[in-house]
Order: sequence, then structure tokens, then C-alpha cells
Amino acid sequence: MKYNFAKLSPFQVDPDKIEETFGLTADDFQAATDTEKESVVYKHKSVSYWRDAARRFKANTVSMVALFVFILCLLFAFLGPRLIPYNYADQYRSSQKLASMEYSEEEQLVIAMSKNCDAFYATTLKSGSLTAIKKGDYTINYGGKTYAFTLKKAIEKSVLALDADAEEPLFVVKMKDLNEDGTWEKSTPVELSDAPAEGAQPLKLVNSVFPHVFGTDSSGRDLMARTMYGAQVSIIIGIAAALIVLVIGSIYGAISGLAGGAVDFVMMRIVELIYSIPEVLIVLLLQVVLTDPLRAWFDAHKTGIGAILGDLGPGIVSIFITFALLYWVTMARIVRGQVLQLKEQEYVNAAVALGASKTRIIRRHLLPNAVGALVITTCLQIPSAIFLESFLSFLGLGVSAPMASLGSLCSDALATIEIFPDRLIYPAVILTIIVLSLNLIGDGLRDALDPRLKK
Amino acid sequence: MFSYILKRILAAVATLLIIMAVTFFLMNAIPGNPFLSEKASPHAIELAFKKYGLDKPLIVQFKNYVVNYLRGDLGVSLKMQEGTSVKDIIFNQGKFTRSIKLGLSALALAILVGIPLGCIAAYHRGSWLDGFLRVVTTVGVAVPTFVLATLLLATFAVKLPLLPVKSGELTDFRSYIMPVISLSFYYTCYLAKLTRTSMLDAINQDYIRTARAKGVKTSKLVLKHALRNSLIPVITYLGPVMAGIITGSFVVESTFQIPGLGKYFVQSVMNRDYTIIMATTVILSALVIFMNLVVDIAYKIVDPRITLTSKEG
Repeated sequence: MKYNFAKLSPFQVDPDKIEETFGLTADDFQAATDTEKESVVYKHKSVSYWRDAARRFKANTVSMVALFVFILCLLFAFLGPRLIPYNYADQYRSSQKLASMEYSEEEQLVIAMSKNCDAFYATTLKSGSLTAIKKGDYTINYGGKTYAFTLKKAIEKSVLALDADAEEPLFVVKMKDLNEDGTWEKSTPVELSDAPAEGAQPLKLVNSVFPHVFGTDSSGRDLMARTMYGAQVSIIIGIAAALIVLVIGSIYGAISGLAGGAVDFVMMRIVELIYSIPEVLIVLLLQVVLTDPLRAWFDAHKTGIGAILGDLGPGIVSIFITFALLYWVTMARIVRGQVLQLKEQEYVNAAVALGASKTRIIRRHLLPNAVGALVITTCLQIPSAIFLESFLSFLGLGVSAPMASLGSLCSDALATIEIFPDRLIYPAVILTIIVLSLNLIGDGLRDALDPRLKK
Repeated sequence: MFSYILKRILAAVATLLIIMAVTFFLMNAIPGNPFLSEKASPHAIELAFKKYGLDKPLIVQFKNYVVNYLRGDLGVSLKMQEGTSVKDIIFNQGKFTRSIKLGLSALALAILVGIPLGCIAAYHRGSWLDGFLRVVTTVGVAVPTFVLATLLLATFAVKLPLLPVKSGELTDFRSYIMPVISLSFYYTCYLAKLTRTSMLDAINQDYIRTARAKGVKTSKLVLKHALRNSLIPVITYLGPVMAGIITGSFVVESTFQIPGLGKYFVQSVMNRDYTIIMATTVILSALVIFMNLVVDIAYKIVDPRITLTSKEG
């Protein structure tokens, strides 16, 4: 093509004068090498949806604090029971109805005594099968030394104490021989053997009495252990119920949204019907109806899934059934809405036009785009399940003793509210903190996963 | 409009009928029966079954329930107050009135406090007041009703004995304070949050800017222009609020020992008193369904843009 130089506008450059105008030589016009090309193409590393969401979530201080608090709650609920010597179900007959941090009379005697020896094992402070040290062979590891001995008779209502410097380091003091000042009337030495017998059981000695931080209940169960266990039960119920709702709701909603037409119409009328039932009335009835048949079923099926569900107890399982029957409707509506909305998107049309298969469209286009809404709704479902469980347990349905949930602990505490008002405060505050942190995490997830919804 | 209302009333009646059916079959599935006790001989139980028509097939029993309910006959109590008419128990012993008074007071408190608080927070957005209200309402929606009820009881009735431990029959004003606050607190906070959000949406609209440019007074701007438009999501939420207040009444009536309908429902389930279970379920469900109906119609009045033909999920 020939340039018509006469028609060059003042802003156009005469190709022959490029060198002179811009200071460029022919050397400047060489083909780019591969590395140079890459540096242009990958100016920004592509950011995936999840990385982007994680960045937004991390920038949200409130949600991060809530996440941290929730992790603390998880540690309290799941790691806590391993760190304290008490168990949610064990009843300590000598330490009933203690206020928080209070020691029972026996515990006070043992504490006083512990000043005069190195370590001890008090049979009265253990419970159930451990109220005595049974006869047999034992070893004790303490202060780098191993003590081996054989008991010909069980030790009951006594303290097995160790004083490493004494001539007879291991001795038994009867509970009734202990004085308030920490001395004792008489003691029986335990004969040590030179080497541990085969199959000897190790016995762990302690040198302090672990306090009942939250006190004990009227059956002598440690309330901190029960609160930890209750938090565990509440969190597990919350997460499991949310997953049940997620599965049922999204399958139902997806079928309804994808099928459309008459199927969709009928399915949505069912959803509306369930939605307009005041579910708590039915839930209360369901709880009572399901308890006995479930118990009978657990007794008949002691293996496999029956054993797992049987451990949870009929109260918790009927809560799951309730969620599976009544609480999936919100999730189904949200999923159907997402499917309907996404189905009409241009990129889905494009994929259809290009001949993509149905599974590919669902897997590649619908699912990744709907996953944000699913995660948010599931996360916000957890506190609502915890609410429902605690509500039912508070009314005396739900979990039954010796199991505990935060709701049943509040309900138990209500009976003694005039004497021990703080017994109510611990489970109530922990319940509130768990629900609050989950709500805030859910809000943060919504802002992070679906910025369009941000208010 | 008329056909819409008619359609909704029919749907409401159908829902109520289905609730009756579900309740009927569930309560018959509860193991045991109302006459079971250590003293009762099998013969006496048989006689009682015959007397109350429980020996008939379930489907006939259900039909009798529906027919009697249409006639306004709720039957007689089988166990808890044996032989007394259920209608008398619910309406003439003050149970219904007490629950309604409690529920309406809580609803009124939630609306009268929650909505203005939301407006104030939206109007002063970004200020310390907004921040404070945001913290209070966020915590408020995380506190279950029974936690608040029991904590109030522990503080104001036990530690500082200012208010009575038992609210009993709600005869004086002081006995209302704690039950109403614990019943309405969650909804007050939720309504305040909701109002704030929708108020902020409304304030940022163009017509508000235009009105302001025209010199409309701030008070009028907020109350007339912004509030009216931001009330729509708030009104939609009132249906669930009513259902929630009934749920809460189970707990609140148990905690404060108020002999109301919620507490009576829980007791009747435990006692398998079939006629009372049925009557309380139907009355409480009817209240919720009626409330939802009112809300849907109010919705139309507040926002004429909403078409009432079909409600898509």
C-alpha cells in the first residue's frame, strides 16, 4: 500500500522519519524472546475464586476474630476433656453440689495431706469402677524412679501416698485417719518388689487435687467436664444437622430447578406447605413420638450404624430426623433460586450451544457458581440447629442424662438457680459465644464468597 | 385483590387441615395412652377408650375431629382435667388470654423499639451510636430466648430481688417485665438490624436526594419517604416473628411459671392428652397462619408494585 504523504495529518508520523522522531533504531524492532513474552502474559498471576474469597475473608477483622473465638470454643469442647481428670458422666459421691472452685471436705483433707508427701492416689476422688485400687500388680513411675508392688487386697476409701525420701516410700492412709492439719494417725506401708511383675498396670500419681472450676451438680458430676462435653454435643449436632439440610435441600432444590414445569410446581407447593407449618409444634410431638421406637431400634441393632446412632441416643437422632423432615425447605428454595438464575446465564447458553453435556454444565458451570450460596446457608444453619437442640433439651426433650448439651445444662441449672446462679451462666455464655461466632463467620463468608450480596 | 385474598384463605384452611392430620397421626404414634397408670385396670382403660371414641378406627376418629372442630366443639380433656371441656380449659381459665397478652406485648415491644432503633442507627450511620447498636443487636440475635430468660431470672429475681421469681398469672405490671423482655429481645434486635439495612438502602435512592434538594425537612424525609419504603422487608419478617414468639412462649412460660397455652401444650404432649394436644396445636397454628395472611395482605397495601398473582420461591 502506498502512503499518500500529502494527506498526512499533523499527528501522523512519516514512516521514514520514525528514527528521527522517536529515537528508535531498527534494532529496537526485534522479535520478543519467550521469557519476554511470558513476562507480559503473566503480569498478574491468575487468582482463583477461593483464593480471592480467602483474601477478602482475611481482610475482615470481625470475622477473623470470630473464627479465632470459634476455634477456641472447639479446643474447649474437644481438647478440654482430655486435659482435665474429670469425666462428664462420673459421679463423685463426696463432692456433690460444690460451688465453682470449691473443694469437698475429703478433697480438703487430701490437699492438706499432700503437703506432707510427694504424690498420692486418692481412691475416694475417683469414681465408678475406680473407687478402689483392685488387687494385682502395679508400677508407679515418679521422679525418675520406678516403684513396683503387688496388692493382695484392694485399697478402698484410702490414699496411696508416696514420700520418696522416707524409708518406706509407699504407704496407705485410711481416709478416716486423716487430720485437718494434714497429718495422719497411722499408715500401712506397701511392700515394694525389686522388679515389676509381668503384666503390671501402671498407676499414675498426682500431687494436687484438680479443682472443680465450674463446681459440681447434685449428683457430684464435674460441671466443667459436663460443659465441655455439652459444647461438644451441641457443635456436633449443629454441624451434622447443617450437613443433613445441605444434602436434602440441595438435591431437592436442584431437581426442582432443573426439571422446571409441572414437577417444579408440585415440588414448590410442598415446600410452601412445610414452610407455613409452625414447625416447633410438630418438632415437639416428633421428639416424643420418636424416642421409644428409636430406643427399641437401637436395642435391636447393636452393630454398624445402629451402634453409632445408639451411642448418640434417641434424643439426638430424633433431632436429626426432624431436620431431615422439616428444616431443609429454606435450603431447597435457595438452591432452586440459584439454579434458575444460573440456568439462564449467557455462559451456560454458550456451553449448551457448544454441545457440552448436562453433567459437564452442572459440574463446570452450575456447581462452582452456586457453591458460595451453599456454603453461606450451611454455615448459618449450624447456629440455628444449635438453637433448636438447646431449646428442646431445655424443655426436657433432646438429650437425656448422663449425656449433656448446653441446653440441658441450662435447664438443670434452673432448678437450683436460687442457690447457684453461676451454674447457669457458664453453659449459657458458652452457648451464646458459639452461636455469635458462627453468625459472624457466616456473615464474613457471605461478604467473602458473594460480594454482590454485600450490604 | 379479592381473588388473591380468597385464594390465600383457602390455602390457609388447607394448611390447617394438613397440620391437623399430621398432629393427629403423630399424637397417636406416641407410645402409651392417656389412661395408662398404675391403678388403671385393662377393663377400665377399655371403658375409657369406648367412652371417648378411641376404639374406633383412626380415620373415623380423625373425621370426627374435623367435623367437631367445624362445629366449634373442641372435645373434652382426657387426662389433665378429665371431663372438662377443652374450650373451657383454654379460653375460660385465662390460658389463651395470658398467652395472647404476653405474645402481643412482646410483638409490640419488638416493633416499637426495634424499628425506631434501626432508623436511628441508619440515620447516624458510622457514629459511635450506630456502632454500639450494631454490637448490641449482633449479640442479641445470638442469645437464645431461654438463655436470656434464665439470665434475667438469675440477675433480677435472685441476685437483686427486684422482680418476682414466678410471674404466675400475670396480675401486676412487674410480673410482665422479664417474660416480655426475654420473649421480644431477639426480635427487637433482628428488626433493628433489618430496619437499619433497608433504611440505608432507601436513603441512598435517588428520590431521597431529590426530596432533600427540594428542601424537604429531615424528619419528614426519614419518616415519610425513607421509612415507608424500607418497611417492606420488615413487614415480611413479622410472620416468622409471630411463629417465633409462640415458640419462645413455650420456654418463657416454663421459665417464669406462667400457666399459659405454650406451657400447657408441652404438658399435654407429655401427658398424651390427645384432645388438648390437638386443640392447642390448631389454635397456635391458626394464629401463625392468620398472621402470615395479614402480613401478605399488608405487604400489598404498603407496596402496590408487588403483584399478588403467584409467589415464586
